[in-house]
Amino acid sequence: MKRLVALLLVAAVESGSIAAAVQTPPPPAAPRETKVPQAVEKTLGNGLRVIVVPKPGLPLVAARLMIRTGAGADPKNRDGLAQMTANVLTKGTKTRTAEEIARGVEALGATLSANAGWDSTSINISVMSANLGKTMEYVADVARNATFRKSELDRERARVLDSLQVTLEQPDAVAAMVASRLVFGAAPYGHNLEGLPSTLAKLTRDDLVKFHRAYYRPGNAVLVFAGDLAAEDAFALAEKLFGSWKSGAAAASAAESRRPERAPLHPRVVVIDMPDAGNSAVVIAGPGIRRADPDYSKAIVANMVLGGGYSSRLNQEVRIKRGLSYGAESSFEPRADVGPFAATAQTKHASAAELVQLVRGELDRLATTDVPEAELLPRKAAVIGGFAFSLETTSGIVNRVATLALYDQPLSDINQYVPRMQAVTAADVRAFAASHLASKDFSVVIAGNAKEFVEPLRAQFEDVEVISQAELDLSSPALRVRKKKE
Amino acid sequence: MRRLSLLLLFVVAAARGAATIPPIEFRHRVLPNGLEVYAIQDRSTPTVAIQVWYRVGGKDDPEKRSGFAHLFEHMMFKSTANMPSEMLDRLTEDVGGWNNATTFNDATVYYEVVPSNYLETLLWAEGERMGSLTVDDGNFKSERDVVKEEFRSSVLAPPYGMLFHVMETDSFATHPYKRPVIGSLEDLDAATLDDVRAFHSTFYRPDNAVLVIAGDFDPQQLDAWTDKYLGAVAKPSTEIPRVSVKEPPREAEKRVTENGASVPLPAVVLTWLIPQASHADSVPLAAVNTLLTEGDSSRLREKLVRGEVAQEVFANADLREDPGLFEIAAIMASGHETAEAEKMIRNELAALAAKPVPVSELEKVKNLMLTSELRDRETSNGKAFSMGESVVIDHDANGINDNLAKLQALTAADIQRVVKQYLLDGKAVVIDYREKK
Repeated sequence: MKRLVALLLVAAVESGSIAAAVQTPPPPAAPRETKVPQAVEKTLGNGLRVIVVPKPGLPLVAARLMIRTGAGADPKNRDGLAQMTANVLTKGTKTRTAEEIARGVEALGATLSANAGWDSTSINISVMSANLGKTMEYVADVARNATFRKSELDRERARVLDSLQVTLEQPDAVAAMVASRLVFGAAPYGHNLEGLPSTLAKLTRDDLVKFHRAYYRPGNAVLVFAGDLAAEDAFALAEKLFGSWKSGAAAASAAESRRPERAPLHPRVVVIDMPDAGNSAVVIAGPGIRRADPDYSKAIVANMVLGGGYSSRLNQEVRIKRGLSYGAESSFEPRADVGPFAATAQTKHASAAELVQLVRGELDRLATTDVPEAELLPRKAAVIGGFAFSLETTSGIVNRVATLALYDQPLSDINQYVPRMQAVTAADVRAFAASHLASKDFSVVIAGNAKEFVEPLRAQFEDVEVISQAELDLSSPALRVRKKKE
Repeated sequence: MRRLSLLLLFVVAAARGAATIPPIEFRHRVLPNGLEVYAIQDRSTPTVAIQVWYRVGGKDDPEKRSGFAHLFEHMMFKSTANMPSEMLDRLTEDVGGWNNATTFNDATVYYEVVPSNYLETLLWAEGERMGSLTVDDGNFKSERDVVKEEFRSSVLAPPYGMLFHVMETDSFATHPYKRPVIGSLEDLDAATLDDVRAFHSTFYRPDNAVLVIAGDFDPQQLDAWTDKYLGAVAKPSTEIPRVSVKEPPREAEKRVTENGASVPLPAVVLTWLIPQASHADSVPLAAVNTLLTEGDSSRLREKLVRGEVAQEVFANADLREDPGLFEIAAIMASGHETAEAEKMIRNELAALAAKPVPVSELEKVKNLMLTSELRDRETSNGKAFSMGESVVIDHDANGINDNLAKLQALTAADIQRVVKQYLLDGKAVVIDYREKK
């Protein structure tokens, strides 16, 4: 107590205001209106949809050729195919070797990358506007003429296998992979997007060629530009480079990759015992929503109250009040089909069970009591501010617009985002949480040194499965290597 | 009277072939209490970035208190005379903005990006925490636990976290850079609330700070608010302690083995001492970094990663206020040994010193660096960071524009010379990192 009083005195002297009444901050001035960038679009004769968001200023352009098919379409026992196809895509065409592509693109100062998501695959570039045309030639070449040489597949496979070895020693990554299995089981979205050693070993050049032939089609693709360019110039560039891209019978592919509704799986509590791990990683996860769900805005606002941003309830309880973690957060990942909801945090092993209890308590509090208006308004402001910041950069705009296109949302939705979020009420949040965020519907995963937390965890749950790192089999929902018969 | 000088700088980017970047125009003032202010106006969106750079970082950690400057950074979000704990979040996140802070070896930066109608509010808040902190013991202990969690999740949990944690300790002989900014769990446990108070009064003062504002503001309003809220913070009469230790030149090559708990693939790191950021060789060394590891066509990525010897390779021209490090790290591909990567890295450096890089490769490096700089300048916060770095780390505000002109003028001979001088001096520190047996 003494120390505290002394400190207050010193502080007061320092700021030159002994015994001054507590000041309040100066209030804000009138806000200026935020301009949302506006998209224009055109569809080429072969079905390729082209979207342009002009943003004059810096001489920079970001662009994405998006294929409307991703890892959600990986065939059975071919986990990682969509990502591997993207990896090898940029490693050689009919007229260029992998080295020629990398050297050519980088000579222009550009970055080129290809990556699979769950519902799409994206070829992204970022380049000075003066070099856009030349860089796009490479994008068109890899998308249309990739050759998928076996030597390149073998090289990429070895690289991904090595990187998986590293990933599988990280408690947060292991917990996330296990959580996907618990939420989706053997259905799409349940596997590791990059694949596993067992499935990567099976991938052949033929698998990649077939995947490419089936899905990399103009009618199944969207080309998005944002930055320092005129819409007419972008359309002309698209016509020149993609106009002769043959349409084919792949337009149905996106729909094919969407699976029928599944019954939710029974929630489980799973511990992956990693005795050498430096920290424990906790994931509490379950099915979330589709992007097309009419409750999308409610999900975004409810999550911002619960676990989005620094001042969310989870971070308040776990980090700010108790110092249990560097950060606790949650998110929905709405997809073509129902995507996951997950709350995640790391903590020292001994605190893992306490952390689970805190997170579950916050889930149920959201579902059973109204969020006070004084809390809801700032959380909505955080959602809207985050939206504005996501449109600050050319690559951010491309991502927003491409995501709207992927999920068949009208591009004019970019103007509706703010009013829709503002319209969400406390009653909406509570009702949404009651139907989508009840802790009893969620699985719990902890990856860490089990002996430090398994007892208090068993006090919370009747059935706790403990699986050692050596026994862990991520290729099946059972999660355990089947024991060989004696 | 306050001094006001207006600097409008234009770079003539004249190099043939390479693209140009519009220069950043900035205003500079020094308030009577010593606070420096740099302002970059851009009214295209109604947001503004506010950064306060304090000239204190990990290198200024008190004796037996490694990690303290960073721990202190966390305390700056706690209470002041007129702000309860976490009020900074109320003034940023709650109105659609955000905030954060970063502790480097040489500086600690606090930043907020907010709708521009909140500029005055945030200048008041920065004045508040520059003037006083009233952290209590409960807040202090709980936040110290957060920092220990940060240590576990960034150093202990990732397989190569420990490697980058020990790299500086192995690389510096006497300079306090040898202590990692995040510190050690023991030293964090030893820290007290008295340390917090002493650190604030020693280093958190207007004559040890640089305010950078970028984005939407009215210059007259900005000046008036800066004078009112930050100009009112008193300048103490005490001296600001500065690190005077000079890192001695290395005598010879040094080899060390370090271990981590779960390291599936061994790794190797090579470090060399390089001059301070304000030195003329900073730009060529940064270019060498790009040339070696930026993009799949970079020298080391082609040889080591595409060559299937390494799983990953990184380089960093780690330029600091005092002499820093050039670092090259490789995580091996399975079945390969660190000695192979080390040899290939050394061969590539020797090749760079022996023969000038082709014109096309030099142009590629310039284009990659310019485009990367453009991306950094897409946001107000990015521009403010470039400004703050130029002022605080490079000791040259004009560097924000001049460095790009220097890059344009860079020659193959410059690259050859710095590789020979700094990376082939026969005095590397070589760290071999593998799993504890």
